[in-house]
Amino acid sequence: MSWDGFVEGLRSFVLWSMDVTAVPIIVYFILINTSLLVLIVLAYLEFRAQQRRRSTAVSWQGAGLAPGVSLLVPAYNEEAGIVMAVKSFLTLRYPRHEVVVVDDGSSDQTFARLEEAFDLVQVPRELPHEVPIRAKVLGIFVPRDGRTRLVVVRKENSGRSEAINVAINAASEPLVAMIDGDSILEPDGLLHVTRPFADDPTRMVATGGAIRPVNGSRVVSGRIVRVEMPQTWIPRIQLVEYLRAFLLGRTGWSRLGSLILISGAFGLFRRDVVVEVGGLDPNSIGEDFELVMRIHKRLRDEGREYSIEFVPEPVSWTEVPVTAKVLRNQRRRWHRGLWETLWAYRSMLFRPKYGRIGWLALPYYWLFELFAPLLELFGIIIVPLALALGIVNVPFAILFLVLAYGYAVLVTLSAMVVDEWAFHKHDRWRAIWQTIAASILENIGYRQATVWWRLEGWWSSLRGKKHVWGVMTRTGFDEDPA
Amino acid sequence: MIIGAALLVGATVVILGACVLLILAVVAVRARRHSRTQRDEMLLSPLRPPLITVASGEDDDGAAAEQLTWATGVSRTVLDRNIVEMLTKIRGVPAEQLVHVLEVHGAVDAAVVEMSSRSTVKRARAAQLLGLARAGHTVPLLVEALGDEAVEVRNSAAYALGLIGDPAAAGPVLAAIGAPERGLPAATAAEALQSMGVGISEVLRDGMADPNARTRMVAAHLSGERSFTRGLPELRALLDADPDLTVRETSATAIGRLGRSEDVGILVRHTVPSEPLALRRACVIALDDLGEAEAIPALAVLLDDSDPRLAELAATALLSMGPDGRDALAGHENDPAVRSARLLAGLQKASA
Repeated sequence: MSWDGFVEGLRSFVLWSMDVTAVPIIVYFILINTSLLVLIVLAYLEFRAQQRRRSTAVSWQGAGLAPGVSLLVPAYNEEAGIVMAVKSFLTLRYPRHEVVVVDDGSSDQTFARLEEAFDLVQVPRELPHEVPIRAKVLGIFVPRDGRTRLVVVRKENSGRSEAINVAINAASEPLVAMIDGDSILEPDGLLHVTRPFADDPTRMVATGGAIRPVNGSRVVSGRIVRVEMPQTWIPRIQLVEYLRAFLLGRTGWSRLGSLILISGAFGLFRRDVVVEVGGLDPNSIGEDFELVMRIHKRLRDEGREYSIEFVPEPVSWTEVPVTAKVLRNQRRRWHRGLWETLWAYRSMLFRPKYGRIGWLALPYYWLFELFAPLLELFGIIIVPLALALGIVNVPFAILFLVLAYGYAVLVTLSAMVVDEWAFHKHDRWRAIWQTIAASILENIGYRQATVWWRLEGWWSSLRGKKHVWGVMTRTGFDEDPA
Repeated sequence: MIIGAALLVGATVVILGACVLLILAVVAVRARRHSRTQRDEMLLSPLRPPLITVASGEDDDGAAAEQLTWATGVSRTVLDRNIVEMLTKIRGVPAEQLVHVLEVHGAVDAAVVEMSSRSTVKRARAAQLLGLARAGHTVPLLVEALGDEAVEVRNSAAYALGLIGDPAAAGPVLAAIGAPERGLPAATAAEALQSMGVGISEVLRDGMADPNARTRMVAAHLSGERSFTRGLPELRALLDADPDLTVRETSATAIGRLGRSEDVGILVRHTVPSEPLALRRACVIALDDLGEAEAIPALAVLLDDSDPRLAELAATALLSMGPDGRDALAGHENDPAVRSARLLAGLQKASA
């Protein structure tokens, strides 16, 4: 075939593709943007209510009805920061809480550091088997002082989900909070996320708290003393993504009573409900999402009254990936987890007994979270090709790109307004300009790369490839030991 | 062409225009906050020394409080806001002096008027001010506000009633928890009721028969917290037959706090394996709290329970029951539950 013939064939193919997909893509574009607009409006309404509540809030120190909380901390090779993290968790402002650390077969000095810092002694305790576990528990330890509410469990390495399941078995309080060992909690964070349980003690089963990237901020003794912007663009763009996801997405879904995702980095659950549904699924990649779906399904199947809420106050701060390699692994895992969980719970789609979860939240996640990268990839390939072949008008294509990406920036800016109005975490003016710049830069390269990584994750699941957990390389905090 | 060029241009202009507006909104929000903070600081700075003198209880001759009453205009508004904030933290004579300043400024009378404002925030803040000023004459107004359409106002009214502490408001506060569509959050109600003294025991007894599970739970919880023994028959009934597990657990805990020897049998009855595990554990903890020797045989049986935590809780309870309790551990010395309970008791004793 001659070059001209090849070009003509390609031209015909691209033209045909554009003809066939034009209407569906336009409809999709309108639907996704409209749904985002609806979420923005819902989030705005929720924030207006939240802001009213905050400006008229009366002091609550958790006396009386505040349920006890067990903080579950899975730790694998966390020798660098585990002692400081545990100390900061133990000193949170809350009337009754304990910390349960599960050393998931660390090959470094994680346990030795804890043993030394808290003068641990082994307890000949047998753990309940309320949540089934496969790995062998090697020992249970408590501080010698008999007062510090810390339990350390050593077990063979079997992954984060199993470590949390062991911690659930070891927990003694009615609420369990799943947190990462490298997370930093706000001193009043527990008071914020337990408040819905105290307000509605018979119906509330889970709450999720907002999570922010900690990169670049100044941390002293496990506490953030000054919130700063990350120093490089990859985490800055993730900050923008977190703002969008937590301040618009989850707040909007919570307003609708259809929250189906609570981040694994911080979630608070009724222990008896988690036990009842069997704890985290150790075989799931998106174990946090899967757990919330299982709770929804179980409680709705049984026709029980319950509530799951999102608390928009920043509760937990976490270190986000700074390199493309680590980010790629994270996004592959997230999208794979999304697909596997959505597929596992496909029977809930459009079933009246699942209410808004089945009619709104799940279809949204299928259409606009799962399939979004597929359609975006199509656009990324076909538009430059059509431009090169002279099929589309150049100013028209540029205008369309500006419109599409301008809309993405608009959504981010809406989240920024909410953040500035309600929380005002960044003092410096520079932070505003950097966030705006990040919301624009996100569309140049970063977005396209994450599209590809998400599809990689999906594809590897479809091919049945075993997921390998990558190592999240931590750069550590700008810790000031003074 | 599916999309007309004019439509595309129009949509792009709208989107970019909205982006610019949002950027301006971010800047405006921050600038407004900054300028308001500076303005408040400037207006408050001459009044700060007398305010600190009063708040720290050093205004023996009342001169500083008198000086505060002279504030006018915006300064007075800013000062009153600061006084209200301070009143949440201070008590006694300084608080009374600051309330007097508010009264002279007309803030209390204004709050009564603002209770019928259209603004939710104004109504809520007015209710809080009336509570902080311990304005007992406004109790009927605050009780009415428990049924306000806005949860913020209901919350603030309950908070204010708690501060005023009039037990006559206990019934409406408890009833407000289960109000359809306009319920009062349980945590706020519980805190308010806790401040209303011993005159609320009958109200709590009635609350334990309420059709709303949250109301029953709060009533059961407070009966235990405040040791209202007159509520024991209702607590026993809730433990036995309430349809809500949380209410049953709360009742078990309350019985553990204020129960009598005859409650041992009731608690033991709910430690059997057919009961939910969370309730069984709550009952064993309650038996430990109760500390009655009649529980020893039942607790000894639980040492063999298939749930290791329940067995350890039973061992802990037996260890705290003196020589008879410790004797009941005979034959179980090598059980992990007993060894664990002994070790923990030893550590706690050593550190005491």
